[in-house]
Amino acid sequence: MTDEQLAVFVASSLRLSMPLILAASGEMVSERAGVLNMSLEGMMLTAAFGGALGSWATGSPGLGLLCGVGAALVVAFLQAVLSVTLRANQLVVGIGFNLLVLGATTFLYREIFGPLSREVIPGFAKWHVPLLGDLPVLGPALFQQVGLVYAGLALVVLIWALLRYTALGLAIDAVGEHPRAADQAGVWVAGVRYAGVVVAGVMAGLAGVFISVGDINTFTEGMTNGQGYLAIAAVIFGGWVGWRTLGACLLFGTATALQFQLPAMGIAIPTAGLIMLPYVLALLAVAGLVGRLSPPSALTIPYRRGVS
Amino acid sequence: MSVATASPVVRRLAGTLPLPVLAPVLATLAALGLGVGLIAATGTPVTAAILAFWDGMVGSTFGIGASINRGVALALVGLGFIFANRANLTNVGGEGQIAFGGMVATAVALRGAASLPAGLAVAVPLAAGAATGAVWGGLAGILKVKRGTNEVISTLLLTFIALLVVYWSVQSENLLRQPKTSAATLPESLELPAPTRLPTLSTDPSSPLHIGVLLAAVATVAVGVALARSALGVRLRAVGLSELASRRAGIRDGALVVLALTVAGALGGLAGAIMLQGELWVLKAGFSSGYGFDGLVVGLLSRGSAVAVVAGALFFGFLRSGGIAMEISAGVPAAVVLLIQGLIVILIAGSVILTGAGRER
Repeated sequence: MTDEQLAVFVASSLRLSMPLILAASGEMVSERAGVLNMSLEGMMLTAAFGGALGSWATGSPGLGLLCGVGAALVVAFLQAVLSVTLRANQLVVGIGFNLLVLGATTFLYREIFGPLSREVIPGFAKWHVPLLGDLPVLGPALFQQVGLVYAGLALVVLIWALLRYTALGLAIDAVGEHPRAADQAGVWVAGVRYAGVVVAGVMAGLAGVFISVGDINTFTEGMTNGQGYLAIAAVIFGGWVGWRTLGACLLFGTATALQFQLPAMGIAIPTAGLIMLPYVLALLAVAGLVGRLSPPSALTIPYRRGVS
Repeated sequence: MSVATASPVVRRLAGTLPLPVLAPVLATLAALGLGVGLIAATGTPVTAAILAFWDGMVGSTFGIGASINRGVALALVGLGFIFANRANLTNVGGEGQIAFGGMVATAVALRGAASLPAGLAVAVPLAAGAATGAVWGGLAGILKVKRGTNEVISTLLLTFIALLVVYWSVQSENLLRQPKTSAATLPESLELPAPTRLPTLSTDPSSPLHIGVLLAAVATVAVGVALARSALGVRLRAVGLSELASRRAGIRDGALVVLALTVAGALGGLAGAIMLQGELWVLKAGFSSGYGFDGLVVGLLSRGSAVAVVAGALFFGFLRSGGIAMEISAGVPAAVVLLIQGLIVILIAGSVILTGAGRER
């Protein structure tokens, strides 16, 4: 691998991992509180569209970011109302939102931009990190990215700290493991679960905006293309632990980057095997064949007071 | 949907109709109403759009046949879902089971099944597809019993693996990809040979309606009777309510968990084989897109009733066909149908708390 190829490979790995890292970190919080958001895909797609629309209409990618995250929050809030207050089946509601959002964004996109439009929208400027950005080879790959990358990574670390060192973090785990005990100890179960879903919404929103406004500067129909599901798989493979989930996202992103890189280097291996690898690893991990992972005990189970 | 906010007529009706029936109907009407409003907002004449929609659903023998065929696949996945769900298992893997069933049926049909005697040429690929789905579903059951793996997570991951294997199989000429004759050769399989295709039911050559609908009818009766009238149904329910108590009562709970997910997988695999041998005839990556999740939704919304699964599957089948026709002849994006469908799913799932089914847990 030449220096140039290495730089391209590292940059594309980071670029492909970033939406996963953002979305998976938020989803991990929600799942540890006991709510699985199959709608992660829908939240990301909503934000990708909202961000693109906002940035295009106002000419400001910053306002686009706000629009995108705001739109994702609407989906997240509705998901929370349905899965926490109304105790609806979380999987069904999530799949329902994914259908609804795919339909709504495709419809609006065609009405506003016209079919097959390749409208370029204003994107974020790259931020050249002083000194580090000047490093040879890897400098431009790692330290000349849009600001959202660094802000997002900071938020991810903040989420880890919140889970590990704060009372709220403890409450989140309690609610996800044993909501009845948490309730008896005075924890507001519904409130904590709403907060978890909202965190997932904000992070999925950032991920979606990163894809449309931060990365390719346009919107296409269904552009999240299963990355929400991949983020859920990363949380599973990461065993609901922060740094492992980050590692899983980097691994998944790198595997995706490799499928473009290997043919360029003249190495012919079936790329489908490479993209499949993350899912196989995740399956082996949850089956306890590689390490031993167990999901939060109350994952996907609604909580109701007074009924055992 | 809150009944209190509905119109007086609806409130009067609500007094006479049981809420579990009323809620899905109201949810569907509300979603369809919103869909019509959206179509009006685009400036398309609403009547033209609705006529195109209606025409696509029932206006031609082709439309009716295509809608029912779509419904067949959804019904099979939905039936598998309610079967496993009776044991309190959630099979999210329908999509992967369809994909694998279709892939293996294609492989068997292309590699020799065509030269079998008439009936077997059709039946062997179907059976192979169902068997593959059964293995893929049963695997989740075994992981659950042996390793305690949550079946929601394992079936979801197994789905992604299956979808990628199918993608792989049509990318590689060593597997199922048709021989490359030019740069324009698409990554898909050869056409299934005629003897392996499902016989059509209608004498009208434009009707794609095939014998899959009969297989689905048999499956509906079998699953319905097994769940409602057989000892197996009672045992499944017992395992779903309490594994420990059923074990004390002498029920082999582990075997039943594996069986439940195997049956669900077999029905998904059969659905995939039927799609390939019935109408598609060519294996492409992503051919199963949406069918598995739609089938899951149909199963969940049916609340365990095999008849309701069929009704929901046919409704979704006709809705999609109508949407495609509306896009072609009235210029309204078919995405509106996705939007309506998603909204129906969310509203019905959300109204569970009103209709009392949420109390089962």
